[in-house]
Amino acid sequence: MLYYILKRLAAGVITVWFIATATFIAMHSVPGDPLMNDKAVSAEIRKNLERKYGLDRPVHEQYFLFLGNMLKGDFGISFTQQNRKVNDIIRDHFPVSATLGVLAILIASTGGVLWGALTAIYRNRLPDIIIMFLVILGISVPSFVFAALGQLLLVNINKLVGYSLIPVAGWGTIWHMLMPSLVLGLGTMALLTRLMRSSMLEVVNEDYIKTARAKGLSPTRIFFRHQLRNAILPVVTVLGPQIAAITTGGFVVELVFAIPGLGRYFVQAVQQLDYTVIMGTTVFYGAFLVFMVIVVDILYGFIDPRVRLQ
Amino acid sequence: MSEHLLEVTNLGVQFATYGGEVKAVRGVDFYVDKGETLAIVGESGCGKSVTVQSLMGLIPMPPGKITSGSATLNGKEILGLPPKQANRFRGVEIGMIFQDPMTSLNPTMTIGDQISETLMVHRGFSYREAFTRSIELLERTRIPEASRRAKQYPFEFSGGMLQRAMIAQSLACNPAILIADEPTTALDVTIQAQILELMAELQRTEEMSIILITHDLAVVARMADRVAVMYAGQIVETGTVDEIFYESAHPYTVGLKEAMPSNRVSRDKALMPILGSPPDLFSPPKGCGYYARCPHAMKVCKHNLPPSFPISDTEHVARCWLQHEDAPKSDHITQAGR
Repeated sequence: MLYYILKRLAAGVITVWFIATATFIAMHSVPGDPLMNDKAVSAEIRKNLERKYGLDRPVHEQYFLFLGNMLKGDFGISFTQQNRKVNDIIRDHFPVSATLGVLAILIASTGGVLWGALTAIYRNRLPDIIIMFLVILGISVPSFVFAALGQLLLVNINKLVGYSLIPVAGWGTIWHMLMPSLVLGLGTMALLTRLMRSSMLEVVNEDYIKTARAKGLSPTRIFFRHQLRNAILPVVTVLGPQIAAITTGGFVVELVFAIPGLGRYFVQAVQQLDYTVIMGTTVFYGAFLVFMVIVVDILYGFIDPRVRLQ
Repeated sequence: MSEHLLEVTNLGVQFATYGGEVKAVRGVDFYVDKGETLAIVGESGCGKSVTVQSLMGLIPMPPGKITSGSATLNGKEILGLPPKQANRFRGVEIGMIFQDPMTSLNPTMTIGDQISETLMVHRGFSYREAFTRSIELLERTRIPEASRRAKQYPFEFSGGMLQRAMIAQSLACNPAILIADEPTTALDVTIQAQILELMAELQRTEEMSIILITHDLAVVARMADRVAVMYAGQIVETGTVDEIFYESAHPYTVGLKEAMPSNRVSRDKALMPILGSPPDLFSPPKGCGYYARCPHAMKVCKHNLPPSFPISDTEHVARCWLQHEDAPKSDHITQAGR
């Protein structure tokens, strides 16, 4: 198991390096540079600025400089926000995005497993039909629509009770987190519900379920001890990629709910070609995702002994 | 009151499908006594598995439905019990093992835990007690290094070892009857022999009865005390293993025998298959189920279901009009002559 984890971590480092390099190349092949947005810059000032920021050096030199600094854990200073270190931006805003993302994943996975199991139990009966209809809705409606609808719902609830029970936007308390993480997790929850349902229905027909019944176990015990764990396996497999989907989806939700997450800086930086911020946030996000995928894989090993022991 | 350990009378099972009702089992009677082995033989789809699975309450209902009959274990009815009561005899008084041991155990639980589970649920053992007992059970089924093996998962076992573990699991509560549904079909021949040997040995030491479902007559000859031959959802002939093999009274039994490969090299006796396939059980024939394939078929067979005719003063009976006193007498029934 330890060897397995170490192997995955080593592969993770290579992935992050690849992300960094690809982003660097992509970023530099876009026409223009960070200084372009500053109006009324004379050629001389521009030259001085370029020298100051190291933009006058050949690209490959910039690349190695960046890599070296990155290894030291330093992503440099933002081009567009005065005197703001990229590290500070990440430190201030990443926890917000991460909290939102983790909450969304938790809601999505528990919800998906729960609804999926429920639909399988009530297969082809009313609860199944209703939930599966909602699932189609959840998969096909984009998250910003749900975000707006969610806000509308909160506004109406608050109007009904007469005071601000649940804040419509902003960040700070657990009440602020409720709606955005639900909205963010909804699409994934729908997807996982479908997966869990089909997986449950497959497991019901497995021979070992018949064995469990022949052993005289109660349906409840069979459900929890034999069905659920085996049915969850395929769901856990897609959890890794789904975390990536949720994090990127988070940018939009953060915008709608006015959440001070990293997403806003990320998008802004790309628009302004703020080299250091782009590199910093991308590499950091990439590393975080890679790490989460590894965590999911290790989790998988705990559920499925075949992965753990081979 | 019956004096038999298990007595099944007039069992009928149907399945509702899109195509209509499949009458999988049509009035089956048999009994099992203490310590004996009853083999139920017949080709695929003749209702062997459905018969025993309905005894165990393993038929999914719906679409399955037990339409008639009763089954008593020690004089107590076991068909149609409420789920809680059914769980009290399943795995306790009747143990069951299945065809494919590779898929019959939960892949995410250790072998020891799966055996322990039965003991904890039915005997109220603590986990530790149950696990110790599981190791003993594994030892009894001759699994080497049982205490280490108990902590392993099914994927770390070979097929033969898994079937041993399945047997250990089914023996956990000392059942009176072990139902073995084609226990060796998925195993290779040498392992087959070992498993059968183990079952025979355990039967002696545990004094349990075995219901052996198989289509392999070699297995029947080796294991069975009595045999019930099933065809198209009915038992067409039943008797002791010697009677079935040497005094076969139903053309289907004869057909099965002749379709059995032997290792005696003889040029003049080719392997003889039974031509055709079993009847459609959506609308089972009114007469004898074997009519369409029987080389001895008579007019009477087409529309009249043959009753059970006694063949000797023992319990050897056959459902075949040839055994009627007015039937044309021939020395012996063969499959040839077509």
